[in-house]
Amino acid sequence: MLQKKVCMLGSFSVGKTSLVRRFVESIFSEQYHTTIGVKVDKKVARAEGQDVTLVLWDIHGEDAFQKVQISYLRGMSGYLLVADGTRRQTLEDALALSTRITETMGKIPAVLVLNKCDLTAQWEIEPDREARLAADGWKAFRSSAKTGESVEQVFSQLTLAMLRK
Amino acid sequence: MAANSIFESYLADQGYALFEYLGGGEFRALGSYPDWCKTVWGAENARQKTLRLAELSPFLENFLVDAEGFWNSKRKGAANSPVWIEHDFANHETPLEAWAVRLEGKKILIVRNLSSSYAERQQLFQTARDSLLEHEQLLHEIQKKEILLHCIIHDLSQPLNAMRGCFNLLSMEKLPGGQQRMIETGQRESQRQEQMIRGILEAFSGELAVQQGSAGTAAEAPDLAACAQRVVEQFAPAFVEKGIRLRLDPRLDVARDWKVVGDAPRLERIFGNLLENAMRYTPKGSAVTVGIEDKVHCLLAFVDDEGPGLPKDASSDRLFALFAKGKDRPGKAGLGLYFCKITVERWGGSIGAENRPGGGSHFWFKIPRAMKTTPIRGADKRSAPQKPSPSAAPVAPSVKDQPAPLAPGHLGKAPRRLQILVAEDTDVNRELVTELLQKRGHSVFAVEDGHAAIAALSKKRFDVVLMDEQMPGMDGLEATRNIRRMERASGNHQIIIGVTGNVSEEDEKHRIEAGMDGYVTKPFDMQVLFQIIESHSHGGQQAAPAKADSAVSVAPPVDVAAHLARSTGGNEKLAQSLVKSFLADAPKKISDIRRAVAQKDPAKLATAAHAFKGAAAIFGAPQVVAAARNLEAMGKAGNPDGAEKVFQTLETEFARLKTELLALRRKADAGAAASPRKRKK
Repeated sequence: MLQKKVCMLGSFSVGKTSLVRRFVESIFSEQYHTTIGVKVDKKVARAEGQDVTLVLWDIHGEDAFQKVQISYLRGMSGYLLVADGTRRQTLEDALALSTRITETMGKIPAVLVLNKCDLTAQWEIEPDREARLAADGWKAFRSSAKTGESVEQVFSQLTLAMLRK
Repeated sequence: MAANSIFESYLADQGYALFEYLGGGEFRALGSYPDWCKTVWGAENARQKTLRLAELSPFLENFLVDAEGFWNSKRKGAANSPVWIEHDFANHETPLEAWAVRLEGKKILIVRNLSSSYAERQQLFQTARDSLLEHEQLLHEIQKKEILLHCIIHDLSQPLNAMRGCFNLLSMEKLPGGQQRMIETGQRESQRQEQMIRGILEAFSGELAVQQGSAGTAAEAPDLAACAQRVVEQFAPAFVEKGIRLRLDPRLDVARDWKVVGDAPRLERIFGNLLENAMRYTPKGSAVTVGIEDKVHCLLAFVDDEGPGLPKDASSDRLFALFAKGKDRPGKAGLGLYFCKITVERWGGSIGAENRPGGGSHFWFKIPRAMKTTPIRGADKRSAPQKPSPSAAPVAPSVKDQPAPLAPGHLGKAPRRLQILVAEDTDVNRELVTELLQKRGHSVFAVEDGHAAIAALSKKRFDVVLMDEQMPGMDGLEATRNIRRMERASGNHQIIIGVTGNVSEEDEKHRIEAGMDGYVTKPFDMQVLFQIIESHSHGGQQAAPAKADSAVSVAPPVDVAAHLARSTGGNEKLAQSLVKSFLADAPKKISDIRRAVAQKDPAKLATAAHAFKGAAAIFGAPQVVAAARNLEAMGKAGNPDGAEKVFQTLETEFARLKTELLALRRKADAGAAASPRKRKK
C-alpha cells in the first residue's frame, strides 16, 4: 500500500496531538499533555480511489525549550501546519517555520490548520488575515479537535495534495 | 556469572537494548533482548538472529540514516536521536532514545527505554509551558481590562458633555439668584465628576491610559527635540553594550522651537519604544539615528536603523497592532508599538514605518505643533481654531483645565443670521446644538440622518450644513459624497462642516475625499463651533472647489487687507498698486471668461480662468479662486457644460471682492489725504 509521511508542525499547545488523536482514534481530551520529541502514528486514508497509509509524525511544538530539527522531516511527503486561532502569534510562528522548511527542503504539500475554532469568543485571527493567507496561496481550514470540525477534511485535503504532486 | 553477562543484565535492567549493525539494514541484539523490546516490537523478534529495525519503527528508519552517516564518518562521540514515542501492542506509550556509537570497531546502536524518567521530564516541560500560556493569558486579560476601562470611561464621559452644554446654556439665562446658584452647583459637580473619571483613568489604566490630546499652549507644551535628546541619553549605554551607535540627527537644531501637543513622559515613552524596537533588530556595528523634521503644521519625528528592514508582509496596520510581535526577535508583549500608535493618534497625529531606500527601517510619527495663540475663553482647548485636535479621548479636561462657567449673555449674537441644517442622530446632541445655534441667533433646521439632510437640501437653501459623521442609515460622509455628486450639474457648492470624534490622519483623508469643507470635533465647545460655522458663512452656495484637498479643517474668515499685507510684506504702496491694477484688469479678464463660456471654447476658458485665478489669489479670496479654478478645470477637461452657473458664482464672488478692494482704496486715499505733510517729507 502507498505510504506517505506526514508531519504535524506548529507551536506548542496548538493542538497537534489532539488533531492526530481525533483523526486516528476519534477521541479528544481537554487535558493538555505537552509532547516531548516525536510520536508516530498510522492511519489509512482513502483518496482518488486508492488507500494510502499516512504515517503521522506528531512533532513537539517549537518554543524556547525545543526546536524542530529539519532531520525529523526527512522523507516527508506533506505537512499540516497547525496554529491556535486563539493565539495570533502561533500563526506567525507557524508561517515562519513553513518558510524555513521551504528554504531547506523546497516546496512540499501543506495544509494550514487554524485550530480551536470552537473557542469563538477568544478567536484572534481576523477575517482579513485569513483572506491574506488565501492570497498568499495557503489552503487554510478552521478546525476543532474538540468537536471534530474539519479534522477529516484537513487530512483528506493533504492526502489529495500529496497524491497530486 | 561472567562479568560481561552481569554487565548486560545491568544494562537491560536499566532499560538499555544494544544492537550491532551488520550492514544491509540488519542488526543483531547484543546480550539479552529486554522485555520492553518484546512488547514494543514483538516477542518473535527476540528469537530472530537478525533484526531489521528500520522495518519495525518508522522513527528508527529515519534515525538510522543519521546513524549510518555517523558510523561511516570519522567523527568521535555518538550520534543521538531525540526522544520518540513507540506504542506497544496494548497501545501504551513507550518513550525511547537512541545513540549510534562505535565500540571496538563495531557499529553499535543503543536504544534506551525512558519510561522511568520521562514522566519527570515531561512534568518539567509541562510546567514551563503552562506558565508561558498563563503569562500570555494574563497579558490578554490585562489588555481586555484596559480596553474595557477605556470604553467605560468613554461612555461615562459622553453624557457629561451634554450636561456641560446644558448647564452652560442655562447659565446664559437671567435666572433668579437661587436657581442660578443651583446651576453653578450643577456645573461644579459635573466638573468634579470629570475629575473623578480622570482619576480612575490615571489610577488604573497605567501606561495604556492615554490621556486626551491636550493641545495646550506653547508655554506648557513639551519640546519634542528635548524629549528625543533625553531618551537618546537614557538609551545610550544599552546601545553601547550592544555595539550599536545611537545618535541624534546632526541636522537637528535642538535650540529651535519644537513644541508639540501631548506630554513629555509619553513622548519619551514613544521614542523609547521605537528605540527598543530598533535595538532588537539593528546589527552590531551599525547606527540608529533619531531625528525631527519640521512639516509646518506638525513635526515629524523618526527613528532610522540599519537593520534588515521590515518583513515583506508587514503592513503598518500589523506592525502597530495590539499584541503584534516580530517573528525573529520578538519583544515582550506586543504592546510597545501599539502604545505608540494609540497615543500619537489620540493627540491628532499619525504613525508609520517603511523601509529606507539604502536598507534598514524608518519608523516615524507626526504630532501637531502646539498652539502659539492663547486659547479662546470658554473654548475647549482641544478644539482651538488652529487645528482641531483630538477630543475623542475618553475623558474631558480636568477641573484645572476647565474654562470658567459662562456668564449670562457671554456668547453674544452672530454678526449675520445663518440658515443652518444640522444632521445629527443623537437626540440630546441634536437638541443641544440646535439650542446653542439658535441662542447665537441662527436659524436651525435639524434632521436625524444623511437621507433627511439631502431631502432638506432639495427643498430649502442653507448657508451651512453641520453633518455628524456617524449616523445610522446614511452617514455623514456618504451624504456629503451624494451632495457633491448632485452639485456637479449645478456647479454650486454647499458648505458642509463635519462633526466627528475621529481625528486621525486617515479620518481626515476620508473627510476630504468625501468633500467636507471642514470639521469640528466632539465634544465641541460653543465658541469653536460658532467660529467654524461663521467663518464659512459667505453664502452657503459657493463655487465648487476644483479639488477635494481644498477643504480645510478650520478656515478663519478671509481678511483681504491682512492677506494683501502678508503678500506684499507690509508694503502699502505696493499693495495699493496691486489693487489698482487688479481692479483695472479684472473686467477684461472676466469678459474673456464670459466669452469663452458663451462660445463653449474649453481651451480659451482654461486660459482665461487660469489668468484670473492667479490675479485673484494675491488677495486671498478663496471663493473667487475656487470658482475660477473650477472653470479652469472644466476647460482643461474639455467639458464646459455647466460652466454658466459656475461663472455666475464667479461674478457674484468677484463683486464681493471688488467691494472690499474699493473700500481698501478709499481707506488708503483717506489716510493719504489726512497726512499730506508726512508724505512730503
